[in-house]
Amino acid sequence: MRTEAALDSHHDDADMNEWPDPQEELVQILTPEGQRLEQPMYDRWISDLDADALVALLEDLTVVRRIDVEATALQRQGELGLWPPLLGQEASQIGSARALRKDDFVFTSYRENAVAYCRGVQLGDLVKVWRGTAFSGWNPFEVGMSTPQVIIGAQTLHATGYAMGCKKDGVDSVAVAYFGDGATSQGDVNEAMIFAASFTAPVIFFCQNNHWAISEPVGLQAVRPIADRAPGFGIPSMRVDGNDVLAVMAATRIALDRARSGGGPTFIEAVTYRMGPHTTSDDPSKYEDRASHEEWAAKDPILRLEQYLEGAGILTDEVRTAVKAKADDVAREFRAECIGMASPEPMTVFDNVFAEPHSALERQKQQYAAYLSYVEGSTR
Amino acid sequence: MSEQLTLSRAIGAGLRRALADDDRVLLMGEDIGDLGGVFRVTDGLKAEFGGERVMDTPLAESAILGTAIGLAYKGFRPVVEIQFDGFIFPAFDQIVAQLGKLRYRTGGAVSMPITIRVPFGGGIGSVEHHSESPEAYFAHTPGLRVVTCSTPQDAYSMIRQAISSDDPVLFFEPKRRYWAKGEVDLEAEPEPLGSARVVVPGTDVTLVTYGPLVATALDAAAAAVEDGVSVEVIDLRSLAPVDFETVEASVRKTGRLVITHEASQSGGLGAEIAASITDRCFYHLEAAPQRVTGFDVPYPPAKLEEHYLPDLDRILDAVDRVLGRENSLTGWSAK
Amino acid sequence: MTRDFMLPDLGEGLTESELVAWHVAVGELVELNQPIAEVETAKAIVQLPSPFAGVISELYVEPGTTVTVGSRLVAFDLDGPVDDVAESVADVEAKPARNAVLVGYGPPVEGGARPRRKRASTPPPAGVAPAGPPPEQVSLETPRSTPPVRKLAADLGVDLALVSGTGDGGTITRADVLAATSTVTESSTSVSAGPVASAVRSAPETVAAAAPSRPAKSGERETRTPVKGVRKATAEAMVRSAFTAPHATEFLTIDVTASSELLAQLRESRAFAGQRITMLSLVAKALLVAVERTPSVNTRWDDAAAEIVQYNYVNLGIAVATPRGLMVPNIRDADGLSLVDLAAGLTNLAETARAGETSPEALTGGTISITNIGVFGIDAGTPILNPGEAAILAMGAVRRTPWEYKGDIALRDVMTLSLSFDHRLVDGEQGSRFLADIGAILTSPGMTLTMV
Repeated sequence: MRTEAALDSHHDDADMNEWPDPQEELVQILTPEGQRLEQPMYDRWISDLDADALVALLEDLTVVRRIDVEATALQRQGELGLWPPLLGQEASQIGSARALRKDDFVFTSYRENAVAYCRGVQLGDLVKVWRGTAFSGWNPFEVGMSTPQVIIGAQTLHATGYAMGCKKDGVDSVAVAYFGDGATSQGDVNEAMIFAASFTAPVIFFCQNNHWAISEPVGLQAVRPIADRAPGFGIPSMRVDGNDVLAVMAATRIALDRARSGGGPTFIEAVTYRMGPHTTSDDPSKYEDRASHEEWAAKDPILRLEQYLEGAGILTDEVRTAVKAKADDVAREFRAECIGMASPEPMTVFDNVFAEPHSALERQKQQYAAYLSYVEGSTR
Repeated sequence: MSEQLTLSRAIGAGLRRALADDDRVLLMGEDIGDLGGVFRVTDGLKAEFGGERVMDTPLAESAILGTAIGLAYKGFRPVVEIQFDGFIFPAFDQIVAQLGKLRYRTGGAVSMPITIRVPFGGGIGSVEHHSESPEAYFAHTPGLRVVTCSTPQDAYSMIRQAISSDDPVLFFEPKRRYWAKGEVDLEAEPEPLGSARVVVPGTDVTLVTYGPLVATALDAAAAAVEDGVSVEVIDLRSLAPVDFETVEASVRKTGRLVITHEASQSGGLGAEIAASITDRCFYHLEAAPQRVTGFDVPYPPAKLEEHYLPDLDRILDAVDRVLGRENSLTGWSAK
Repeated sequence: MTRDFMLPDLGEGLTESELVAWHVAVGELVELNQPIAEVETAKAIVQLPSPFAGVISELYVEPGTTVTVGSRLVAFDLDGPVDDVAESVADVEAKPARNAVLVGYGPPVEGGARPRRKRASTPPPAGVAPAGPPPEQVSLETPRSTPPVRKLAADLGVDLALVSGTGDGGTITRADVLAATSTVTESSTSVSAGPVASAVRSAPETVAAAAPSRPAKSGERETRTPVKGVRKATAEAMVRSAFTAPHATEFLTIDVTASSELLAQLRESRAFAGQRITMLSLVAKALLVAVERTPSVNTRWDDAAAEIVQYNYVNLGIAVATPRGLMVPNIRDADGLSLVDLAAGLTNLAETARAGETSPEALTGGTISITNIGVFGIDAGTPILNPGEAAILAMGAVRRTPWEYKGDIALRDVMTLSLSFDHRLVDGEQGSRFLADIGAILTSPGMTLTMV
């Protein structure tokens, strides 16, 4: 746990006695080779995970990777305009999202499709944004998750505000803001931490440090570990191995507990790697060192969990087959939803701008309708 | 029940009413709590409703708007104060890229019933950044409503209407008129928020304006009587959407249009009104619409602002122009 | 069933890609998403995963070729086990409005075809303005008109509130304003309204109007009249004409006694019962016959297009003096009119102009003109071309003059014709032939039989 106290190597804060001691190293429970480390501080937060639960996590990781691969293929086939791959970041998203309650609320960037999957977003709804059918695939209030945010970092303020609202309403729901390493340079993210600290807001700042902001390496955004910033704002922080689904889950549960019990915000830096391009329009070969890529391939989140489960006798052939079948089913459904999606009707371009009637918009709408019916063969 | 209130007190009364009527209403802003706001608009409200509902915030406009958005997600009805017009720009992204678009982005699932109060306009002899008129940026942004008041009665009624609206509303307050007094009927049934008002009727020229220049326009209309000219003054009140029907009916009657605003000329509201009215009233126009506005310069230092702000004389010069009478530009041509 | 795969937009508006390599061959069975090709875009080298499971039936593009988005890349033979993928694509392609594979984001690929509108526009109706408010509401509004017409009304001193508009929605048109100005005195008894002297050079001002106004105060040394309205338009037209077309003028004095006798005869005839016919009618008819033989006088110099326009019809303009000034309304397709109809047309034209009811259409589109200066007792002049026309004929007064007749001197009806023409369009020989033809017909009407 990183706090100002930790940076001074001082552990005397009475309030901190309830929480695990600060560590300088990355919080890790599963090594890249699949070996489970003893971490008493964190183990107790995931002691409930039995074999079934672990298999469920493996299935989640496998399915979301499969969705990601399928979506990338669909883009190359012209069915999607764009797709931002989360390849390599599965554990960061699954480990954290599976720790949340239904009444928690998530504010994400545009890359958290695995989080969306966990929150219960329908596959077809996931696709709408990237196909260009809509800006949002789902009703945020039905799944407890905002729509993807394209303005970098803006969502952290929304999460903070939501958390302030939870506190005012006296409920123990938590708001979670997902953002990347690049976002931490944005003013909004820093302002959000100020407000979160000043108002003791029950918000988790979940930073996926995937090492790249398009082509800019994380070293350009931060000259010291990103997790070091939050204590400067008065917010405790943790630096976890983002490819270790167990560590991520443990850290998230710690942060949730703090928030729910009135302890305010937590900053989690999940250190991971963007194994794919920024989006399907990007070409990492222009800026990425191949060696880093290979190094991180060896730290693959799914591989290590498989190895652990195999070693524990949990990953049988039967389980493997079931997991693969599930992934294939999901991919098939995803593809079918995507290809079968109809384009919106032309006049819907005017819908949902205002709650109340608006004279200028109404006039434009009427004139455009007249135009469409005047121009023969203009229906799309 | 009617009382004499200054425009700033009238806004405060409206805010008090809104806080009392709906416990989801929150006020947020810098210095609005204990200080009661730098213009004392929110005076006494924290004492009455407590710090959870009247919140002093850190000094970060983007965060004030961004957290207001988060609070709106949670079902609150935030009323945000931007301390001065010139300080709204750090919040521009949250207002334009988020607030204006959230309903559209979410297919109507998410409402943003946020009101942003902004003291605006000049004529107060201030230092830089305290006399801006940025309304056009927001009137140009789809998804936002923009309104402004010119009288204490409108200030009281319109702030309540803005807060009740489920749409995001920018509420521009003419700061140089904060101390103007007027009758306020606290129980008055107001006209629709989007409507313009004919303040004084006339037959020769339609003079359209809003906010701080309504009083100036009324002075101009009174002075014009001596020249035998009857000027009809319209207070737009709503800048997005504009009530073109009221303006159109007037111009069909007079055939002549002058628009005046403090904001700079190019791309200002005057351009929108001139273009729309020319479209709607072309066959009734006796002369080209004229705009009397600030110049395309940054708002000048206090000693020069009288050479920037439209005043009675510049307005009447334009009135002469549309009447075909001799005016400052008779015989003028560009070099 | 064969299905084509077109090159999609691979991201953010890229319009073409180069096919670098195929990873498959014709006849090969491929799985869904199996990489089948490598393409290079402006941004990156990209693997293309197969959109179908099936057999490659044709490779349309050679490696090294640049392919535009939307062009065919490869064909698949989808016979055999059909999976959901093929079905859904087929479903999609059944929908008429969608292009199944090109879900292009970014600029559409230019097809190279000429840009077309979705629907051709229909020409605007003759009226000027779009719909206005229902008549009942008009009273509270300023009169509907357009800025240029308002200006005209202001110049002419017309109060628009008193004018009823004939345009769409009650819009007041230019013609409405001109009609409202008619205060012409009916003093003129001549058949054609006295034309303005078409020569600018020295025609006295008094010729220009039927009744020139006198200064209100006698004893003034000079009077100023603002240049505006019709007079201004006329002056501008004169200047335009005079300084654009190189004018040449020819004169021909002829014995028209035979025409005078013909007129007398025609007036008695049943064909012309109730129809006025004058020397102008005969001159007009003669001119129309002569135009057939010398078409170059019925042309226009189109500077902008660098072309000479040959009219294949004649809109015959007749210069008319009105209280507002000179106008040259024209008779449409005069070349197709019989003498009776031509005479009727001339009468109608004169009456309409005198009443101030000449329509704007009648004032444009003329192809050749006649000006009758004879009514003023003038013999000849150097008329100025109506702008856009190649020729103008001035007819002088018919005088009893001693003339050669059958070897002796006798008093005959003599008239001078003055023809000005645009020397860019009409050369001397043509102009002369034209004038001579007219003269020949008027001298001896029977000569027409040799010309038609």
